[in-house]
Amino acid sequence: MEGVNVGLASFIARRIITFIPTLIGVLLITYLIAYAIPADPVRAWVGEKLMNPETLEQIKAKYKFNAPWYEQFIFLIQQLLTGQLEDPVRHKNVFTELTSRFAVTFELAIVGFLFLVLIGLPLGIIAAVKKDSPVDFAVRVMALVGSSLPAFVLYYFLILAFFNYIQTTYLAGIPMPSSACTTTLSSLPQTIPVLGNIVSAIGSIPMFGAMMCGEWSIVLDTFKRLYLPGLALGLLNGGFIARIVRNSLLDALSTEYISYAKARGLRKLSVWRHALKNAMVPVVTVLGLNFGGLLSGAIIAETVFNIPGLGRYMYDAIMRLNFPVIIACTFLIAVIYIVVNLVVDILYAVIDPRIRY
Amino acid sequence: MEFVYKTLKSIIWAYAKLREKLSPGWILKNSSRIREWELMVYAYSKSPIGVIGGLIVLIVFILAVIGPLIAWEPYWEYKILYDENLRYHPPCLPPSCSGYPLFGTDEWGRDIVAMSLYGFRISFVISIVVVFLGAPLGIILGLISGYKGGVVDEIIMRVTDIFLAFPGLVLAIAFASVLPQRIRGVLETNSALRAFFSGLFGLRQEEYGQLAALLSIWFAMVIVWWPGYARIVRGSVLSVREMPFIEAAKLSGLSTWSILFKHILPNVLSPVLVMMTFDIATATLFAASLSFLGLGPQEPVPELGFVISKAGGYFPERSTHVVLYLGIILLIIALGWNLLGDALRDILDPKTRRAIEYRLEKEKKK
Repeated sequence: MEGVNVGLASFIARRIITFIPTLIGVLLITYLIAYAIPADPVRAWVGEKLMNPETLEQIKAKYKFNAPWYEQFIFLIQQLLTGQLEDPVRHKNVFTELTSRFAVTFELAIVGFLFLVLIGLPLGIIAAVKKDSPVDFAVRVMALVGSSLPAFVLYYFLILAFFNYIQTTYLAGIPMPSSACTTTLSSLPQTIPVLGNIVSAIGSIPMFGAMMCGEWSIVLDTFKRLYLPGLALGLLNGGFIARIVRNSLLDALSTEYISYAKARGLRKLSVWRHALKNAMVPVVTVLGLNFGGLLSGAIIAETVFNIPGLGRYMYDAIMRLNFPVIIACTFLIAVIYIVVNLVVDILYAVIDPRIRY
Repeated sequence: MEFVYKTLKSIIWAYAKLREKLSPGWILKNSSRIREWELMVYAYSKSPIGVIGGLIVLIVFILAVIGPLIAWEPYWEYKILYDENLRYHPPCLPPSCSGYPLFGTDEWGRDIVAMSLYGFRISFVISIVVVFLGAPLGIILGLISGYKGGVVDEIIMRVTDIFLAFPGLVLAIAFASVLPQRIRGVLETNSALRAFFSGLFGLRQEEYGQLAALLSIWFAMVIVWWPGYARIVRGSVLSVREMPFIEAAKLSGLSTWSILFKHILPNVLSPVLVMMTFDIATATLFAASLSFLGLGPQEPVPELGFVISKAGGYFPERSTHVVLYLGIILLIIALGWNLLGDALRDILDPKTRRAIEYRLEKEKKK
């Protein structure tokens, strides 16, 4: 057991070390793209009319725009790593806004992922059990249509059905827990040292914060606000997930250990349980990567459903040449990518005892 | 189905006879290859999904080629500006405007069917070119990376990682917002280039500003498209590299390049071909998404995603028909390629062909 843990720890350490050059590369490329824009970013931040030569110079000096590009880049990275990066448009720390945006995206990702699993897994299992039946065919069609449908068109028609006609959702704002609740949660680290930090970090996601304080109406409101985009994301990718579940389950069912299990006279249910566990490795990969994709912000869903999430924040930043925000968002998304990949790799070892690091 | 088989078979034989004329003895030398092609075509003609997909792709291709030529209304004419009566009416909705225009108009009074004919060309050109530029780039890098190994492999894979580590849409947005101004400058000065690209997209030369936006989407997508191919090809090369026939090719003194392209590439190509077919569908939707976000061409260019995003502003009262009609067009384009890819995956699998060969032999014996 000891050996396994050491192996896992060194595997994680190795992965993080190889990721550092990638991370620097991502940031550098992002910065160079932003730098290559032939427009003056300061003008875009301040706005043409409010331009005052003195403030202009002040801002330029603050972000070292007169220095060569690598000094600007190093300056930005320093600020990023020390957590001092300031949003020049909103005039506050980038990380304050980034945290609240990411919290919203995280909620959307969870709701979307819930629908994805609820639609994908059962359909895939049914399609495998009833191979070549109408259900199987329907899953195939659903996967094909889901990957061919322009997402925004589906979003519009879901809005038409659920918002305009049956009016079971709303399209503005994000429900937050009461201020008493947030204060309690944010003061936790002072009273309880380590655990308090973790609880307060989880509580900064509004939905979880509300759950911890027992404000269930807020949780319900959050779900009411986000179930429609979540359903849309689930419908678009659910067919694809179902196909993967079906195919890997059928692969697993045609292996020798299943024949052996049947020959031993095991009940049907436990035969299926054996197959299902072994079929899960590819499914976990795809689900994990899907969740990572959702965490990086579903820009189009956020645009159509009017959700102030990470994708929208980054999009606005690119449009306004807001370098500090672009760099911070890129950093966050790259870190999400590595964490998701790492978690998927670790999950392999949990599901399949033959895989050890 | 029989018709599809016969047509495709006659195309194969026409090609074989052409090669025979150029270099006598070609048919005899490549008879097994021709046999393999015939089996592929047979498998294809037996797959209804593939035939439907192929038919859709063919129709989309024809519409893309002739679309801008047969469009009965120029996309740059805002009828509402010329006709006072149209101005105070909502855009003509399908049930109320019987006959012409068939599926109604947009809020400027333009017939959306005529607009979509231009849209076909734009979507088709973008998706095809992105995949046919992006895939070879990834394939070449993957081949080199997998075959050479060592430092070269490490460098190429690290760069690939960098591009995979942030979501394609974000990277594409970044590129698409940087490039237009630069490309615009080039198009402004170079009239031959302007004529070529406006002809390619079926637009007017005056719209070179929008053309620059289209080209930058194009470029942005090529840049985000190759890493996937590099990864996949590298993986397959690693397994093919160790095979005895590569050893033999090396010993016979072939150059690295001819080993790569004549011996390794054909063995790793079939998953890549399937992926390319699926990717044309993805690229179509991806380009539409970029223009939906407002990064592509602006008025009056009828890019499908852009027209839908504008109609979205009036949704649902005045533009359900626009979103529905253009959405279905995008769906059909992408569905055609996806169906074709689904069928190709079976056809290009050698196991399927052996199964068919076995079955046919058995039928013959009977």
